[in-house]
Amino acid sequence: MTRVTRREFLATSGTGLGLLATGCAPALKGDFAPKTGRRVVVIGGGWGGATAAKYVRLADPSVEVVLLEPGRRFVSCPFSNLVLSGVRTIDSLTFGYGGLRKHGVRVLHETATAIEPDARRVRVGEGYLQYDRLIVSPGVEFQTEQVEGLAEAGDQVLHAWKAGPQTVMLAERLRAMPEGGVFVLTVPPVAYRCPPGPYERVCQVAWYLKNAKPRAKLIVLDANQNVVSKTALFRAAWQAYPNLEYRASNKVVKVDPGVRQVTTEFGDTVKYDVVNLIPPQRAGTIAVQADLVSADKRWCEVNHVTYESVKHPNVHVIGDSTIGLPVPKSGNIANAMGKISALAVVRLLNGKEPQALAPGNTCYSWVNDKEAIAVVNAYKIDGGKVVQIEQKLTPGQSAQWGQHALGWAASIWNDMLG
Amino acid sequence: MRTTLAVLVVLAVASGAAAGPLDAPGADKAVVCSACHGPGGQSPSNVMPILAGMPSWYLKKAVQDYAAGRRPSPEMEPYAKQVLQLGVDEIAAYFSGQTRQPAAVRPDAAAVERGRAAAAQCVVCHAASGKGDPGKGIPDITGQPQGYLQSQMLLFKADRRSPGDESLKALKAFFRQIADEQIVDLAAYYSSLR
Ligand SMILES: Cc1cc2nc3c(=O)[nH]c(=O)nc-3n(C[C@H](O)[C@H](O)[C@H](O)COP(=O)(O)OP(=O)(O)OC[C@H]3O[C@@H](n4cnc5c(N)ncnc54)[C@H](O)[C@@H]3O)c2cc1C
Ligand code: HEC
Ligand code: HEC
Repeated sequence: MTRVTRREFLATSGTGLGLLATGCAPALKGDFAPKTGRRVVVIGGGWGGATAAKYVRLADPSVEVVLLEPGRRFVSCPFSNLVLSGVRTIDSLTFGYGGLRKHGVRVLHETATAIEPDARRVRVGEGYLQYDRLIVSPGVEFQTEQVEGLAEAGDQVLHAWKAGPQTVMLAERLRAMPEGGVFVLTVPPVAYRCPPGPYERVCQVAWYLKNAKPRAKLIVLDANQNVVSKTALFRAAWQAYPNLEYRASNKVVKVDPGVRQVTTEFGDTVKYDVVNLIPPQRAGTIAVQADLVSADKRWCEVNHVTYESVKHPNVHVIGDSTIGLPVPKSGNIANAMGKISALAVVRLLNGKEPQALAPGNTCYSWVNDKEAIAVVNAYKIDGGKVVQIEQKLTPGQSAQWGQHALGWAASIWNDMLG
Repeated sequence: MRTTLAVLVVLAVASGAAAGPLDAPGADKAVVCSACHGPGGQSPSNVMPILAGMPSWYLKKAVQDYAAGRRPSPEMEPYAKQVLQLGVDEIAAYFSGQTRQPAAVRPDAAAVERGRAAAAQCVVCHAASGKGDPGKGIPDITGQPQGYLQSQMLLFKADRRSPGDESLKALKAFFRQIADEQIVDLAAYYSSLR
């Protein structure tokens, strides 16, 4: 897998279905790409969807795969906290979809607007695509309405929780912050994308401030009662950052960019120079609209072996949008679910019993520019359900785990997109 | 000839399926491994060992050592338990059946030459080819990423790989006499061997 080149970027707007996806093409109408054989449509070309699309092709090249993803580039959330500290560039985390095309995946840069499970169709604007089975991996959406003032604030208040332009903007604001400034970072209540992610971000911002703006301060307002993941390891790492103030059970319910202030549910106010507000989350919008979510209207329940939705047949949901499995919302898990769901879908299409396969998880977190910590989870299928076999943590932080993190990233990016 | 072809085509249409790389036995059970060891066990990094083409006896031994906590690794201990759960024989057979490609990071040519000379000390166990001897429990160390080979030799030296294992005591004493710089060269050399 290579990073996107200009040539590849141009090529993506050229051939086959891709032509229909370009901005200047006529609007999509009717059955704009009639099915010729058995077809799997994948919604979302992130960690889960890109993997699933590739693995369906690897498992059975006679199955046609169409991937719907509005973004022309894949930007990795894992390692994006290092962009804030300036340890990595966003370009080093940005990849093209050329690798998937080489596997015969038809990548369409479009947004799915609705799912019609009875007709087995995905709507794309005025047109539609037919499928035999559908894999949905739309990631998370922010519950902006849960924080007063957030919707109106627009880009004045950044989440940077989907790697991309916001990540770069937040890094710029951090650089431009006054010497003795205050950076406020808020952590949403569980369940949210990447349990250790906010705390890794705390490390990266604190590391940057310690070196570049030693008089500045980082205040963390956590809606949860304690650090949600790798608690002891993060708390040990934070010993190196006297500029960090961590406040548990401080759920932020209001933001006012006019006076640069957030308010907690107990009415306490905290002033900031730069804020990073990570909002509460739910499944991607398409999953909510398509009635794939449970009664709480937040997350999707699935069969633990096939990832088929418990609500609609032939529709499989993977990645951050799912709930009910004892797994974190991580890229590693989304990748594993992508592979397992792809194998299950192919077996179902071929009239075979799906294999009972469990995912695995490893989350490396960078605690400074070189050292990392990790949590590892192994699982099995027991009575049709995913059950954890074991969880292990690294004994402390070290550059060795940092090296392993780099090895993991090289492999998993290749596994998804190469 | 023509009839055979026609029959094949009819069969293919009847079942509707086509064979992909994941049809190899055991491939499905190994899907979680590629997150670190790369697709088909062909690790693209300098850090993670390549599993493609690894003799099954050695993969099985490594998995058993990790699962029992004899060879400490926070990553591999849980995954090794998962492998035992799924059936280590099938997974080992799958990886041993994959063709090993050269490691992605090519070692420095001068280091390879220095390593070639220094490797005289290793042939008694790992053989001139570097392919080892299954009968004596000595692994094939050819074609692994340089960084991985280096890290393992340093772990032996510090008694951090399989600490306290009596059968490896002599090996660790032996590594303690080798300078770290020479370990880099030895890793370069064995990484370059096919
Ligand atoms: C700062 C940060 C650090 C992280 N670090 C790690 C880490 O170190 N390790 C780790 O394992 N995980 C990490 N994660 C978590 C990881 O990024 C997510 O768990 C992972 O991206 C989930 O994959 P997904 O496929 O569910 O969603 P995504 O990867 O977000 O993919 C969803 C895709 O669907 C597309 N989409 C949405 N709606 C539609 C639609 N209607 N039509 C078409 N396409 C649509 C979106 O454009 C998007 O590309 C981190 C996350 C963050 C924010
Ligand atoms: C999170 C990353 C990760 C995953 C996933 C992973 N491994 Fe590993 N593996 C490692 C690391 C790191 C090492 C080297 C550890 C050490 O220093 O001993 C390793 C080492 C090994 C070794 C020993 C190699 C040698 O030459 O001695 C084997 C065998 C192995 N892994 C098999 C597997 C199998 C099979 C799977 C899938 C079930 C798997 N691994 C999944 C990270 C991983
Ligand atoms: C006395 C016999 C002996 C000698 C001499 C010896 N080795 Fe080994 N080596 C072994 C054994 C046995 C193992 C496997 C240990 C285990 O099962 O954990 C091993 C494992 C290794 C490994 C780890 C392989 C892997 O996949 O993780 C490396 C690297 C290695 N040897 C390199 C060398 C080099 C280089 C030399 C020469 C400097 C050398 N060895 C000399 C017996 C020997």
